[in-house]
Amino acid sequence: MSSKDYILNNIRRNTRQVFDKPQMDLNAIRFDDQLAQFIEISKAVGGDAVVLKEGEDINQVIRSLYPDAKEIASTVEGITLTTLNPDEVNSPKELEAVDLAIIEGSFGVCENGCIWLPQQIKHKALYFVTQYLVIVLDRSKLVNNMHEGYKLISPSEKGFGVYISGPSKTADIEQALVVGAHGPKGLTVILK
Amino acid sequence: MSSTKHAQNADVFQQNKEKATWHDNALWFVREKRDRISKTLPEWEELRALGEKIKLHSVSHLASYLEQFAANAEANGVIVHWAKDAEEHNAIATEILQKHNAKKVVKSKSMLTEECDLNHYLEAKGIEIIESDLGERILQLNGTAPSHIVLPAIHMKREEVGELFSEKLNTEKGNSDPTYLTRAARVSLRNDFLTADAAMTGVNFGIAATGEIVICTNEGNADMGTSLAKLHIASMGLEKLIPDYESLSVLTRLLARSATGQPTTTYTSHFRKPVEGGEFHIILVDNGRSDILSNEEHIKSLNCIRCGACMNTCPVYRRSGGYSYTYFIPGPIGINLGMLKDPVKHSENLSACSLCYSCNNVCPVKIDLADQIYKWRQDLDSLGKANSSKKLISTGMQFLFTHPALFRTSLKFSSLAKYAPRSLTFGLKEWEDGRSLPPFAKESFTEMWKKGKVKKK
Ligand code: SF4
Repeated sequence: MSSKDYILNNIRRNTRQVFDKPQMDLNAIRFDDQLAQFIEISKAVGGDAVVLKEGEDINQVIRSLYPDAKEIASTVEGITLTTLNPDEVNSPKELEAVDLAIIEGSFGVCENGCIWLPQQIKHKALYFVTQYLVIVLDRSKLVNNMHEGYKLISPSEKGFGVYISGPSKTADIEQALVVGAHGPKGLTVILK
Repeated sequence: MSSTKHAQNADVFQQNKEKATWHDNALWFVREKRDRISKTLPEWEELRALGEKIKLHSVSHLASYLEQFAANAEANGVIVHWAKDAEEHNAIATEILQKHNAKKVVKSKSMLTEECDLNHYLEAKGIEIIESDLGERILQLNGTAPSHIVLPAIHMKREEVGELFSEKLNTEKGNSDPTYLTRAARVSLRNDFLTADAAMTGVNFGIAATGEIVICTNEGNADMGTSLAKLHIASMGLEKLIPDYESLSVLTRLLARSATGQPTTTYTSHFRKPVEGGEFHIILVDNGRSDILSNEEHIKSLNCIRCGACMNTCPVYRRSGGYSYTYFIPGPIGINLGMLKDPVKHSENLSACSLCYSCNNVCPVKIDLADQIYKWRQDLDSLGKANSSKKLISTGMQFLFTHPALFRTSLKFSSLAKYAPRSLTFGLKEWEDGRSLPPFAKESFTEMWKKGKVKKK
């Protein structure tokens, strides 16, 4: 007997009581001022969120936030700061020297600062190896909670998607919070 | 004086008073963070109730969900393997790695691979394995095991890490600044990520409806590994399976809040297909899980989402440390999982519980941890441990009583626990059976007594 059959048989033989799938009609948290909540929670998770004002140039805003960034990778339309097209490198390892990546998120979650990123670029490594990350997000695309968020997700073609909330972090040494464990040392959400 | 292994080890842990106090406070701080954040959600208790029901449903439909999961994953181009036990899991992983001629593997935190003792197995086959979670990496360099399932190096002080890093990673001697040390590990591990031939991960949730796996980390180490290497092997315990996104939305809301008091982990990553030109393997591991299904008294232990909240809140765990338990998972859930694994070997851990019931009240999927421990104690007779039964239990209480500060806090919990009437009656009954009371903090006891919180049977 294959291990698969052995395991499935054992499960079937051992299953006693059966429980129905619960109704998930939860009255989950909602926010009156979603934009204010999203900005606040983005800061609370160690990142930042800024609203792009009428007439402001997104490139200038990003440049003023990251004046020292040299290698800047992006495929987002309207970004002219780009020094590297991340889709043109062959190996994800070539993205290792990226200082700043600018990407686009599909929606943000107000309860926890998560931004959903279905993989749209060739190498997902860009989201993680970059030293700093900017996520451009349409401010009308905010949901209250994860329940609403998961209703919006459909499988990305590339087979990878990630919720990101704030920069990479750790507290593994004496519970002292350090931002920038392996991934980005800083994250700014630009709400356009 | 009779004593269990846990009690003996706990005494050793308590010898370094300062460090023991720090450990206790640090974990209590995490528990308080969990309390604070849970209170920001009016629906928190409903969410826990849903979490419990989702897991009970999933576990009781495991066979059909597994078939659905495997079929969907295979349709996505994933290679799915089935392992009856730890040995088979390790053999499968090794075979995949050898086929790809992989000499160096980066791994993200996985209690399952710990359970299978994978690292030693691979090392014996000449495959280098690098732990990439910072806490796990510290322990790997130190040659020791995790003492907590979410905060693996919580028992180490920054000075110890500084010393270790100066020896292994050439950091400056005497510098134990956490940011400095984390940066040093970042540089060293980046090099490992870039040079690894394969990435191994655990799994937080498997989604039957989509055939994908979900991994939650703060550091981004699972993502670094899997996006830089072409080969990804994920080890998944059968009980990680849940039906769909709707269920996932409930459990992701519970996990980080319960674990560390954060609103979410930084990364909640969904892996559905291999990377371009790469391979993605999922090893489904039983290793005793399908046997637990028939054990109705303990079946709820399969609900566990490994958040660690029961450890953070446990007055005995906080004051005795993860190494005082004989099973590799410590704390309330570890006591129970150890008993399910090998009751004769791990029965002494049953003493590491004052039945304060605090764990039941924080567990995000409402596992009846303390009730299960109570039942195990009742069952000791049938394990041929009848004679030592009373000894075990009284030494468990004794551990609390001989550490007065510890006892007070445990009372503080149980005083909240109108939920937990059995905790004190149980202990008292033991002493009424003819034992003399060990010395303890009389004031607290009197206070409790006056307030009618101690019930005499
Ligand atoms: S038993 Fe509950 S509280 Fe303990 S680790 Fe598992 S899910 Fe968390």
